[in-house]
Amino acid sequence: MKKLITLTVNERVYEVAVAPGRTLTQLLRDDLNLLGTKEGCGVGDCGACTVILDGKPVNSCLVLAVQADGSTIKTIEGVAIGDSLHPVQETFVEMGAIQCGFCTPGMILSATSLLEKTPHPTEQEVRQALSGNLCRCTGYQKIVEAVQEASRRMKK
Amino acid sequence: MLLLPKFDYEEPKSLPEALAVLSELKGNAKVIAGGTDLIVNMKKGTLKPACLVSLKKVEGLRQIVREGGGLTIGSHVTVAEIAESATVAWVAPVLARSASGLGSPLIRNRATIGGNIVTARPAADLPPALMVLGAEAMLKGNGKGRSVPLDSFFTGPGSSVIETGEVLTSISIPSAPPFTGAHYVKLGHRAALEIAIVAVASRLTLYKPDGVIVDARIVLSAVAPTAIHAVSAEKALTGQRPSEELFAKAASLAVTDCSPITDIRGGAGYRRDMVNALVRRTLTKAYHDASGEKEGGA
Repeated sequence: MKKLITLTVNERVYEVAVAPGRTLTQLLRDDLNLLGTKEGCGVGDCGACTVILDGKPVNSCLVLAVQADGSTIKTIEGVAIGDSLHPVQETFVEMGAIQCGFCTPGMILSATSLLEKTPHPTEQEVRQALSGNLCRCTGYQKIVEAVQEASRRMKK
Repeated sequence: MLLLPKFDYEEPKSLPEALAVLSELKGNAKVIAGGTDLIVNMKKGTLKPACLVSLKKVEGLRQIVREGGGLTIGSHVTVAEIAESATVAWVAPVLARSASGLGSPLIRNRATIGGNIVTARPAADLPPALMVLGAEAMLKGNGKGRSVPLDSFFTGPGSSVIETGEVLTSISIPSAPPFTGAHYVKLGHRAALEIAIVAVASRLTLYKPDGVIVDARIVLSAVAPTAIHAVSAEKALTGQRPSEELFAKAASLAVTDCSPITDIRGGAGYRRDMVNALVRRTLTKAYHDASGEKEGGA
């Protein structure tokens, strides 16, 4: 039986009827048409489906939509401020941290979440914070450099 | 894309209500906490509960409370909260260490201590540390409650003493005696999103900083159907004066206490060698901490 849930996504309140078997990824993509969130492995290994749930980055493929009732969610669509990109998005674009782009939304959400908690992370802290997000293209080096550069720009 | 099967979902508002729902549904319901294990198994089709019962609205399951020098941790406290808690770092650093190596940051933000225990996986991350700490699991059923030492909680891969209709509500960790130190090492191919090839937790309590060992606990993980105590190694250490030779002897005895299998993550022989190495390493570090200045726990 479908349940009526209320949740705030990117500062907009939604009321949706969902079946218990729908994941938060499916809700965001199929019902709310927020296609920035990707589904990769579907079992919590790859991090492509990362969203910020009540302030913390999580695998949305392992959250039931009904479990997110009453929650506040930020997806990649909520990271830019108006028309201007977030510093992490800017440095990802400028520094070659994006190749195929599939892991990018998850990477950027994990990275912004790290920088909110730890504004000046060490390289080790960046790598650890991104360790749940897999990238098959870049070899991670440029991603780590982009996060560090974003941290420097945000300091100014 | 992996799809979930059809099931019902209940969100009771209190523990008595939850226990009533579970007892009514008998074996057809499962409690969902973080879901990082349950949802994966349901997507893969290995678990097919007719109903999931979420305890997110039940109060009192999400606290870390310091009690008489020990700790009580609610079953729905997340692994990230344990890894980052200053209280856990002070009273039970070995638990904080094992929590920080579970899954990935994304998994740790959802996975709970209760879930990591009740799924009863032979390579689960938290049980070895909890067992050397002497932790007990508090189970609540319809009309009754009981406390089970974690040492006798697991009965096989995926099975435990928990009965249908029972819920794990909290885990209690007693205060550690003075001159106690502990250490945990998880061996994997990579640092994140890894299931242990072998993991070892050890704890030593000394009579005084340069005294004999009065209590020794060694728990081996991923080398038997459940996490197990290396009983003969523990016995060989108790009452003895710590030395490198003693730790080497205990490490070879620990190898005889386990029964590893060969699987995709490692061969049985390799696992035995790693038990030997990790027991020695964890004992050495535990002894160092036990004999040092540090007050507080293990």
